[in-house]
Amino acid sequence: MLDKIFIGLIVGLVLIILMMLVRVFKGPSIYDRLNGLGVIGSDTILLIVLIGYYNKRADMFVDISIAYAILGFIGLVVIAKYFDRKET
Amino acid sequence: MAIVAIIFLLGGFFFTFVAALGVIRLPDFYSRLHASGKCETLGMVLSFLGLAIYEGFTLTALKLFFIVIFIFIANPTGTHILSRAAYRSGIKPWTRKGE
Repeated sequence: MLDKIFIGLIVGLVLIILMMLVRVFKGPSIYDRLNGLGVIGSDTILLIVLIGYYNKRADMFVDISIAYAILGFIGLVVIAKYFDRKET
Repeated sequence: MAIVAIIFLLGGFFFTFVAALGVIRLPDFYSRLHASGKCETLGMVLSFLGLAIYEGFTLTALKLFFIVIFIFIANPTGTHILSRAAYRSGIKPWTRKGE
């Protein structure tokens, strides 16, 4: 029963990521695009763990998810510091 | 235990969907940042707590709890640093009079 809920959540998260791609391509300023990329990176953490639960090997996918979370946060901070005080 | 896990997972997905809807539809950069800063954090925390409840007392549940603590620190920090960069580079907040 819980496998169907995992499949539904995976499909819903992929739809949310496609909705965020609209904001990434259409955003008026460059900070809107960065915001959309941050939301995509934060959704992908949950998506990796749910795929691991669907494949019944969650202990391996959780480690990949921790590494992805730390790398995504560091990338967002570096790009935001790079675009600080620039006239765009 | 499975019922509680299902309730937590569906609540987390609801808040994540509301965050995505706010980022699509709100009129200003700062309000879009507000939608993605708070709803996104709550949705992620609820979802990972639901998965940890479904798992039980194992090492994987401890790692999921570590992800919860990391998201609770890192997501508002990223939102704040993005907002400060946008304010210093001269984006004005949206008001009702200005439009």
